[in-house]
Amino acid sequence: MSAFGSLGILVAIVAGTIVFALVSLRRVAMSPQEYIVGGRGFGSVFLWVLLAGEIYTSFTFLGAAGWTYGFGAPAYYILAYGTVGYVLAYFLLPRIWEMGKSHGLLTAPDFFMARYGSKALSIFTAVIYAVAILPYVTLQLSGLQIFITLAGYGNVNSQLGAILAFIAIVLFVFVTGLRGTAWASIVKDALVIGALLFVGIAMPLHFFGSHATMFDQLLQAHPQMLSLAGPFAAKGTLWYVSTVLLTGIGFFMGPQSIAATFSAKDANVLRRNAMFLPLYQLIVLLVFFAGFTALLVAPGLTGSAIDQSFLAVVQHFYPPWVLGFICATGALCALIPSTALLLSAASIVSKNIFGDLFGVALDDRSRMILTRACVAVLGLGALVLWVALKTTLVTMLLLYYNGVTQFAPAFFLGFFWKRVTTAGVATGLIAGIAIALYLAAAGISPYGINAGFIALIVNVALTVSISLLTQKKELAV
Amino acid sequence: MQTPMRFLLAAIPIVALSLAVPFVNRVEPRILGLPFVLAWIALWVILTPAFIWGIGRVERRW
Repeated sequence: MSAFGSLGILVAIVAGTIVFALVSLRRVAMSPQEYIVGGRGFGSVFLWVLLAGEIYTSFTFLGAAGWTYGFGAPAYYILAYGTVGYVLAYFLLPRIWEMGKSHGLLTAPDFFMARYGSKALSIFTAVIYAVAILPYVTLQLSGLQIFITLAGYGNVNSQLGAILAFIAIVLFVFVTGLRGTAWASIVKDALVIGALLFVGIAMPLHFFGSHATMFDQLLQAHPQMLSLAGPFAAKGTLWYVSTVLLTGIGFFMGPQSIAATFSAKDANVLRRNAMFLPLYQLIVLLVFFAGFTALLVAPGLTGSAIDQSFLAVVQHFYPPWVLGFICATGALCALIPSTALLLSAASIVSKNIFGDLFGVALDDRSRMILTRACVAVLGLGALVLWVALKTTLVTMLLLYYNGVTQFAPAFFLGFFWKRVTTAGVATGLIAGIAIALYLAAAGISPYGINAGFIALIVNVALTVSISLLTQKKELAV
Repeated sequence: MQTPMRFLLAAIPIVALSLAVPFVNRVEPRILGLPFVLAWIALWVILTPAFIWGIGRVERRW
């Protein structure tokens, strides 16, 4: 009976949001330009909503709380890295937007064609983007599965939850597109603020009377968890610094962020968003409070189950409709970013791989059909990865950043250092990806430093040195 | 004059949120009940928009 109530609320809210998005959408004619980059017409508010929609995901909601619950202070990086990302975004995004506008770019690999004039490099990056995005989609799928399973009060097992999540995600992408995503985000943002005020403010007050008391009790029970471990320890201070820098630099490197950048109406829209979005970042603080509350109230979850932290508390101590409302909010936080992620990856596969490489599906109609087919295939890939990985949401996100941040030298140096060459970028990128993959697969992190960060340093060093070496040759051409 | 100023305004919040954190990695003194290191990070998140606004002013974007 409980499951019926909470799952019913979940389905009703998600369905209501889709209807709202469709009603808002009906006057816009769909073309790839419209479907993928929203016709390059988004103003400040609409872009804010789109960015907030794709940046604050079920990772923010569950992953941050899960790490707070499981590890404590290392989760603090999640509050910091986005803010670092926004400062860099102020400088980088307007440049990406200008190039997108003047060259008519639709996808991230298009940038490599426009800036470095190499079709091989553009196609190579297309493959890397499509693969790198999978752990991020898997994260959303995994988050959605947790919301469905918990709202089901034990009637829905995790396998069934994951399959339902996969179907929901693919259907959601099919019916909405990028502009629909932004409309749906408006509903999502309102619900997120309500849900986080509940789990981050009301819930700690209910159990402890004040947040200060909660931290007093945490200091008693877990004195080591509120600050970071020493420099070389696992998840110690060096790990924190390298992770904040890696993920901050990579913050806008995902293909979904590049597509969102192209959707802006003008460059100042992006600058203004870079200024205001750090304030949205403060919701992460509320998520920490929820995770810490769960640690004191419902201890004992281990492994990837830590991601359920505060949901387990809500399920146990509050009525089904509260759980249903929070799980519905969370479900939107998984569905909306999935749309942006899958859409950007699918448009890369259909345009840059099938179109540019094989010369198929070149007209608008067939490209739309192919893009949708790619959404389904990539979604299936994420489902397979979900079965294979079974890890925490934060670990999945860090895997994604290990990959996408390797694109950063190509963008930053491409815009701010005139002497960078195609050979330099290609060498750095290949070495960076190879090192990140090797270190992640082997589970090595020297001196506690994040493996992706080490790969990034090698990447930058190679990009710069090879660029200097190949300088004359390219000037002669 | 413009470029170093922009660089400085961008570098301060980035350093405060990354490289500076190992040096403020303490629980005491607690700020509004929060562990000091968490309060430090939250404070810099709140201050960052002011720095980005400053960069925009230097560049005459607003």
